[in-house]
Amino acid sequence: MRLAAAALVLVATAFPLAIYAAAPVTWLALAAGLAGGMGVALLSVPVVTVAGALAVIAHAVALLIARPALDPVSAIALGATLMLLLSLVHVAGRTAGAALGASVVASQVREWLMVLAVGVLAAALFTVGGTALASGFRAVSLPMVVVAAALGAGLAMAGVIALVATRREPPATG
Amino acid sequence: MSWQPTTLNLSMLALAGWALFLGVAAGRAELLVAAVPLLVALVLGQRVARPPALHFDYAVSDSRLVEDERVTVTVTLRAEAPGGVVELLEPLPPGVWVESGRNHAFFTLRPGEVVRWEFVLRCAGRRRVRLGGPHVRLWGPLGLLAAEGRYRASQTVAVYPQLEPLRHLPRPMRTQTFVGNYVSPSQGEGIEPGDIRPFVAGDQIRHVNWRATLRLGTLHVTQHHRERNADVVLLLDTLSEVGPPGETVVDRAARGATALAAAYLARKDRVGLIEYGGQLRWVRPGSGRAQFQHLADSLLDASVVFTYVTRDVDLIPRRILPPQALVVALSPLLDARFVRAASDLAARGFDLVVIAVSPVGPARAALPPGRVTDVAARLWALERRAALDDLRRRGLTIVDWDGLTPLDPVLATMRRPRLRRVLAG
Repeated sequence: MRLAAAALVLVATAFPLAIYAAAPVTWLALAAGLAGGMGVALLSVPVVTVAGALAVIAHAVALLIARPALDPVSAIALGATLMLLLSLVHVAGRTAGAALGASVVASQVREWLMVLAVGVLAAALFTVGGTALASGFRAVSLPMVVVAAALGAGLAMAGVIALVATRREPPATG
Repeated sequence: MSWQPTTLNLSMLALAGWALFLGVAAGRAELLVAAVPLLVALVLGQRVARPPALHFDYAVSDSRLVEDERVTVTVTLRAEAPGGVVELLEPLPPGVWVESGRNHAFFTLRPGEVVRWEFVLRCAGRRRVRLGGPHVRLWGPLGLLAAEGRYRASQTVAVYPQLEPLRHLPRPMRTQTFVGNYVSPSQGEGIEPGDIRPFVAGDQIRHVNWRATLRLGTLHVTQHHRERNADVVLLLDTLSEVGPPGETVVDRAARGATALAAAYLARKDRVGLIEYGGQLRWVRPGSGRAQFQHLADSLLDASVVFTYVTRDVDLIPRRILPPQALVVALSPLLDARFVRAASDLAARGFDLVVIAVSPVGPARAALPPGRVTDVAARLWALERRAALDDLRRRGLTIVDWDGLTPLDPVLATMRRPRLRRVLAG
C-alpha cells in the first residue's frame, strides 16, 4: 500500500509541474513531494493532508502564472488523486501490522472505485453545468461571480459539516 | 458505541475547502472542479446503513499453563446482516507475546457468515494473564465514520513457573507426628534399625535379633526408628523488588519456592507459605496435591505492595508458623525489615534456612549495558558477599542463589551446623 500511496504522491506533485515547470512551482511541488513522502513513510493522514494542500497551492500558482486554457480532465484527475491518496494512507495506517483478509482489500477497492466513479461523474457534470452557466453569466461582473461562488462554497461546507456532525445509532454487539 | 467522524473527514474537508478557496481567489475553475471528488467522497462516506448485530464467542485453549507454554485464543464472530469492515484488537498484557497469527485483524462480514479468528500467545514468567476480550471497531464507508466498543470476555490464564526437580532439600531438624520420609530419633515402628535391647513380654517374634541373641545368650530384639514427616514453611520476601518485569527477584524467588513446595510435598511433608511484604499473607501448612495447587496459586499472586506499615513476624499465628517447622526463607535480603525478621526467627529457635536470591543479575538486566554498570554490579556483588558472611557469622544458614541456575546444586553445597550457634547480637 505504501508503494501505491507513494505513486499517488508523485502523480499529485506532477500536475502543477505539467502546467508550469519553473522555479516557484517546482519548489512548491518539491515541498509537497517531500511532505507526501514523509506522510507515506509514517502512514500519517495529517502529514499527507499537508502535502495535498501544498500540491493544491502549487497547482494554483502554476495556473496563475501560466494562465492555460481550461482543462477539466486534469483538474478531475487531481481531485481524484488527492481523494485516493488520503483514503489509501488512512487504510494503510489503520491496518499496519494487522491480519488483513483478501475480502477486506477487495471491499476497500470496490468502495474506492465506486466513490471515484461517482466523484468523476459529479465533477464532469459540474464542469458541463458550469460551462453552460458561463454563457448565461457573460454579462455579469467578476465580483458577482466571486460572491456567488463563495456563497456556494460556504453552503457546500455547511452541508458537509452537518453531515459529519450527525450522530447515528451504533451497531449492537452480543 | 456511537458513530464518530474520523480524522479523514477533517483532511478531506481541509483539502476541498483549500481547493475551493484558491479556486475562488485565483478565479480558476480547475481548482473548483478538483474539489468535487473530495466533496463527493465526504458525502458518500456518511451513508451508514443500519449496522448488524454482532455475536461474539471468545475462548482460550487452556486456563492453566507452565511458563513458555502457548495458549490459543479463538474468537468467533457472526453478523446477522452485512457488517462492512470490522476491526478487532486484543490488547496484550505485559510479558505476553503473539507466537503465531495476529492480535489485530480486519474482517468483512456477510449476513450469517461466521468468521473464526485465532492467534497463539506465549506467556513468559509466572503471572495471571487477564484477557479482557477484543476491542471492536466498525468502519463506515471509506473509513470516514467509525464506531468503537469492547466485547467483554473475562478470561484468566494462570501461568505457573517451571518446576525444577530438587533432590538435595534442606533437611528439617525436627519432625512431626505423621508418617513421612524422615528417620526420627525416636524409637517405634519403622524400617530403619536402631538400638538392640533385651526381649520383654509383648515384643513381636519378628523383631528378635537372632545374631545378638546367640552371641549374648538371651533373647534380644531390634528397635526401629520411626519415619516421620516435617512441617516446612516457605517465607517469601515481597518487601522489595529489583529487575525487569517477569524476571524480578520476586519472580525468581517465587519460582524457587514453587519447586521447594513441590519437592517437600512429594516427601509427604506439610508445606505452608508466608508472604512477608506490604501485605502479610499466608497459607496454612498442609499436604497433598490440593495443597500444592493452593501454594502455586498463592505464589502466582505474590507481588510487592508498598506500605509504610512494618508488620512483625509475631503477628503470624502459631498454626501458620509452627515452632517445630523448618522455615525456608527466600529473599534478596535488600530490606532491613526482612533481615531483622529472619534474625528474630533464628534467635527464637526456629530451624531457619535462608536462600538469598541475588538481586545483582536482575538489576543489571534492567540497566543499559556498559562499563559503569559492570563496575557497579561487581562492587554490589562484593558488598553483598560481605553482608552474607556477616549474617552467617551471626548464626544464620544462608545459601546464595542467582535465581537463574538450577537451585538443586546450590542446595547440595549447603552446610548446616548440627548444633546451631547462638545468634550473636
